[in-house]
Amino acid sequence: MNPIRKKRLSSILFVFLFSVSGVSLILYSLNSNLDYFFTPTELKKVQMPPNKRIKIGGMVLEDSVKRNTSKISFTITDYENSVIVVFEGIVPDLFKEGSGVVALGYLDNEIFYAKEVLAKHDENYMPPNLDIKQ
Amino acid sequence: MIVEISHFLSILSTALFFLAGSFALTLKNTTYISNLISRTYSHAFLLLSLSFFIYIFLAITDNFSVQYIANHSNSALPVFYKISSIWSAHEGSMFLWIFFLALWGFIFNISIYNEETLKPKTIGIISLVLVGFLLFLLITSNPFVTILPIAPLNGADINPVLQDPALAIHPPTLYLGYVGFVIPFACSLAFLINNDPAIKWEILVQKWSVAAWIFLTVGITLGSWWAYYELGWGGYWFWDPVENVALMPWLAATAFLHSLSVSIKSSHLRTWTILLSITVFSLSLFGAFIVRSGIIDSVHSFANDPQRGLYLLAFISVIILISLSLFISRLSLIGTPNNIKTLSKESFISINNIFFGTLIFSIMLGVIYPLIYEYLYDQKISVGAPFYNAIFIPIVILAAIFLFFSIDSKWSRVINLKFFSKPISLSILFSLAVTLLIFINIEKVSIFILCSIFAGLLIIFRYLIEIWNAFAYKKYLNPFSAIAHFALGLLLVSISLNSLLSSERALNIKINEFEQYKDLKIYFTDLGVNKGSNYDSVQAKFYIEDQNGNSFNLNPEKRRYFTRGQITTETAIYVSPIRDVYLTIGDQLEDGSWIVNIQINFLIRWIWFSACLMALAGVVLILSKRKV
Repeated sequence: MNPIRKKRLSSILFVFLFSVSGVSLILYSLNSNLDYFFTPTELKKVQMPPNKRIKIGGMVLEDSVKRNTSKISFTITDYENSVIVVFEGIVPDLFKEGSGVVALGYLDNEIFYAKEVLAKHDENYMPPNLDIKQ
Repeated sequence: MIVEISHFLSILSTALFFLAGSFALTLKNTTYISNLISRTYSHAFLLLSLSFFIYIFLAITDNFSVQYIANHSNSALPVFYKISSIWSAHEGSMFLWIFFLALWGFIFNISIYNEETLKPKTIGIISLVLVGFLLFLLITSNPFVTILPIAPLNGADINPVLQDPALAIHPPTLYLGYVGFVIPFACSLAFLINNDPAIKWEILVQKWSVAAWIFLTVGITLGSWWAYYELGWGGYWFWDPVENVALMPWLAATAFLHSLSVSIKSSHLRTWTILLSITVFSLSLFGAFIVRSGIIDSVHSFANDPQRGLYLLAFISVIILISLSLFISRLSLIGTPNNIKTLSKESFISINNIFFGTLIFSIMLGVIYPLIYEYLYDQKISVGAPFYNAIFIPIVILAAIFLFFSIDSKWSRVINLKFFSKPISLSILFSLAVTLLIFINIEKVSIFILCSIFAGLLIIFRYLIEIWNAFAYKKYLNPFSAIAHFALGLLLVSISLNSLLSSERALNIKINEFEQYKDLKIYFTDLGVNKGSNYDSVQAKFYIEDQNGNSFNLNPEKRRYFTRGQITTETAIYVSPIRDVYLTIGDQLEDGSWIVNIQINFLIRWIWFSACLMALAGVVLILSKRKV
């Protein structure tokens, strides 16, 4: 190989290795920072480690909302299975019994400790995977 | 009746835009043809704007026989919101989007001489893009559909969270930014078609691109501010998919402007510049696709409609495919004359391009990965802030350090960069001192936050020294670069300190009692019921005192709007340069106390101020006479 080609080859190799390692780093950090989304029924089927951040979505069960001091607890249901959620803070304006909700947090001993409770800013919003039922 | 005229005018303008486009691509470039294209475009624009203004008139006069207006406006609204109701949902906002696209083309058309070689093709390409979007509007999302024979007596009202001055101007500003990049896009394609490397299209589009960039910057900032005080999100950025699709074109545009300045100065990086001009516009279109197809769940997304998504996806793919194949076929044409010299300004900007590319790629992955993942594994996932933080923090710190050392570099010259010259060592010393001060005074500081504060300070001090030198010793200083990069430093420092110092807590308070949070004493003094023009509200009154004896009142509200029965939270914010005290009220508990959420947000105003400062740098560039 002549020197020019050799130089070109090495620079192509360098760029290639550099971008491959870059992309794999990004993919690695992506995979370790994913939030899985479950409905209560799906959650029953999987074994979830308690320190894994997940999202659960469903409807707020009627008459399940209880408040004491600054904690609020309610049941998220898909009308087959349900999960009890505990949350500290103010729930969004569109949060009400019988309407859709998504909670982000950790499952521990069958109780879901939510860090965030989301209700979409659209009164017609349905959480994913639930739109057929009702 | 009037709505039919508006409808007809927009169809007519589509036909005229198509004519302008086909003239430009098929006829030979002569003075006569150039004039013809220019005039055809202007007439088409005239028809389109007539159509648009008639539509605004219909909205102001409460013409509820138009379905879209009936669904999104109400006769009780002030005129201002009747107009802004046009862009409160999909069809109308698409109309506005298209009008702005045509407007950019029109201003370009009347301010560039017809003799400019690239002008006819540029106008032609803009016209064809317009035709594509007008057909999308007319076929899949027609805002002119009427309710006949009996029009409703009143409209369904605008969504209350959208009844806000910031929201009335946030979408138009953002759209002006998005579609403004059609100018560099069309011009670079015209340059590729023209096949003459001697033409400097970069100089032609620079100020146009900066103008679009200013609108995009301000639009994103307005959105961030609106989500903070009106939606009650209580922060400035949430890595929501729709925020991300606005950030991607912004990053690409910023990289494009850097690359553009290199191409103008030294005809290096011309390939990069063209590729970036295509990327910016494609990302803007991709944003429109994500928001309007409903493919991704977000608080912003419009209603789900597969037909719209499919049309947009097909149209965008065609645009990207054509422009990329044109780009590849002309690659040899725009080859750079010689290699970039190490440690020249060009070399730093090339590295900067790589950083921007990585950031854009990561966000893109974060936005589309959930789709791919669900398709492959049938499992819904979402990508949240931890991923973006993990990518952004190290790259931005690295980029800031590169920027710091690039300040002394010169265009196309290898100069002996003194890594420990006086200004560099001084700014390192100052930044170290301040960072150390923060480290000592605040407990629990993460190393990443310290690093980003340090990197931000480096830039700030370095530019302060430059500014001092410029005034004291008349040393040359590029004002826009100085302002924009100084703003970046400020942004870094304020974001880091904000995440370090801010805190929030949900408290329970009864009327006439108080709670202590940090240094604040919060007295709940009164609770009242108010009646607004189209809502009822519960207003809580708080009196807050800090340890220095400063006191202020905050009155957060909860409103219920009549027409939709929707409940909204009105935040109450005490603003000061150092920190915001941010109150929202929740529900009443059984023991009579109220849940009150309090946030102390440090330096959050400085984040928006830095963004505005960046936009100001753009304004300075546009107003300057010198070529940059």
